[in-house]
Amino acid sequence: MRNVTSYSTGALLSIIIHVGVLAALVINWESDSKKVIIQPQYIEAKLVQLAPKKTPVVKKPAKPKVDRAKKKREQDKRRADQKKRADKNKAEAKRLAELEAKLKAKQEAKRKADQAEAERQRIETEFAETLAQEQADISAQEDQQVANSFMQLIRQRLSQNWSRPPSARRDMETMIEIRLVPTGRIVGVNVVKSSGDLAFDRSVEQAAFKAEQFEEIKQLDPRLFEKYFRVVKVAFSPEDLRL
Amino acid sequence: MNEENMSILALMTNASFLVQAVMGILFIASIMSWIMIVQRGIFLNGAQRSFREFEDTFWSGVDLNKLYQELTDRALQNGAIDGIENVFRAGFREFNRLAQTDKADPDAVMEGTDRAMRVALSREDEKLSANLPFLASVASVSPYIGLFGTVWGIMNSFRGLAMVQQATLATVAPGISEALIATAMGLFAAIPAVIAYNRYSAKAEVINANYETFSEEFSSILHRQVHAR
Repeated sequence: MRNVTSYSTGALLSIIIHVGVLAALVINWESDSKKVIIQPQYIEAKLVQLAPKKTPVVKKPAKPKVDRAKKKREQDKRRADQKKRADKNKAEAKRLAELEAKLKAKQEAKRKADQAEAERQRIETEFAETLAQEQADISAQEDQQVANSFMQLIRQRLSQNWSRPPSARRDMETMIEIRLVPTGRIVGVNVVKSSGDLAFDRSVEQAAFKAEQFEEIKQLDPRLFEKYFRVVKVAFSPEDLRL
Repeated sequence: MNEENMSILALMTNASFLVQAVMGILFIASIMSWIMIVQRGIFLNGAQRSFREFEDTFWSGVDLNKLYQELTDRALQNGAIDGIENVFRAGFREFNRLAQTDKADPDAVMEGTDRAMRVALSREDEKLSANLPFLASVASVSPYIGLFGTVWGIMNSFRGLAMVQQATLATVAPGISEALIATAMGLFAAIPAVIAYNRYSAKAEVINANYETFSEEFSSILHRQVHAR
């Protein structure tokens, strides 16, 4: 009997305590939870494309319009004036003059139009030339980068396969020429510049033969392959040796 | 995100499921341990008081037969009685039964009485220290549970941090804050349980020692009676 009552009082008290603690926490927390937003000051870094700025297209100067209407009006005016002050016998001369003027104006306009056209064409060709030049530069640069990365790969592969003979010294250098086919297979190795040590030269040759094939070359653009990888020259020199 | 409510309830409801589960476990553990704390407090205080009262009546020179009768009546009335009365009743009943047989050897009588009292004593000891193991385990385990919740929560919030590009303190702070609630709850459950466990186990030991002392004294009285015949 006593046990039951003591348990129930325990439960009651415990629940009261917990509810009280929760209420206190919630109320206290609410009161001082005024948000203070401090925006962090950060500098935003963005990756920008380093594209070559296109030279602004030079708008060809607007074709000087031969203002026929204006001219005509002038003529009319002049004619009216002439009519006013000259008599009928002057009509012939006037008509002649008129014709002459018309012809002259026409010639003038034609000359101007021709000039403008020539100018425009000159500018256009110039622009196209510079653009092509720039693009060629860029693509050459990119090609160079790709070629370099493949070159790096080849060098790395070769140096992995290279086991130096004990006679290797630090100042030795052997240059070999590796001939490749587009599949990346090595079809020939030549020593171009010997180090003077036969064992060393042979070890370099062996390294090239051991590498056998560079699978990655297959992914290369044929144009690039022809340009850079048909024949590859690699220099070997034991730089990390102390002797 | 900036407009997030930072009240403790919002933090709790925004926490991940595992952290919430940990919080729930700790909350229940805390409630249970407080129930035990209060119950044990009432029980042990009652036991101590009734022991003092019984000792007073016992040493007041009352007739033991009468006392025994009274206690048996009360036991029948209440269903059961606790504490030192049980030890007394067990010992006295056994003594009377053994002493009433004709050729009772005094030593055998004393032995039986002692054994009966020992049994009653161990039952009482059990009653005194009941529920204390629960308090002990709450005290020792709940900080770990809370820590687990915290570690999990912080882990998650750092994982989230790895996904955002501009990592500021404001992106991790709510997660860590909500994770730390778990540790706070673990400590909240553990601290009272530790204190109560230490206090009550000491108290239970004292009361048990009192019972033992009384049973020895009672046994010596009975011993005198047996050998005086």
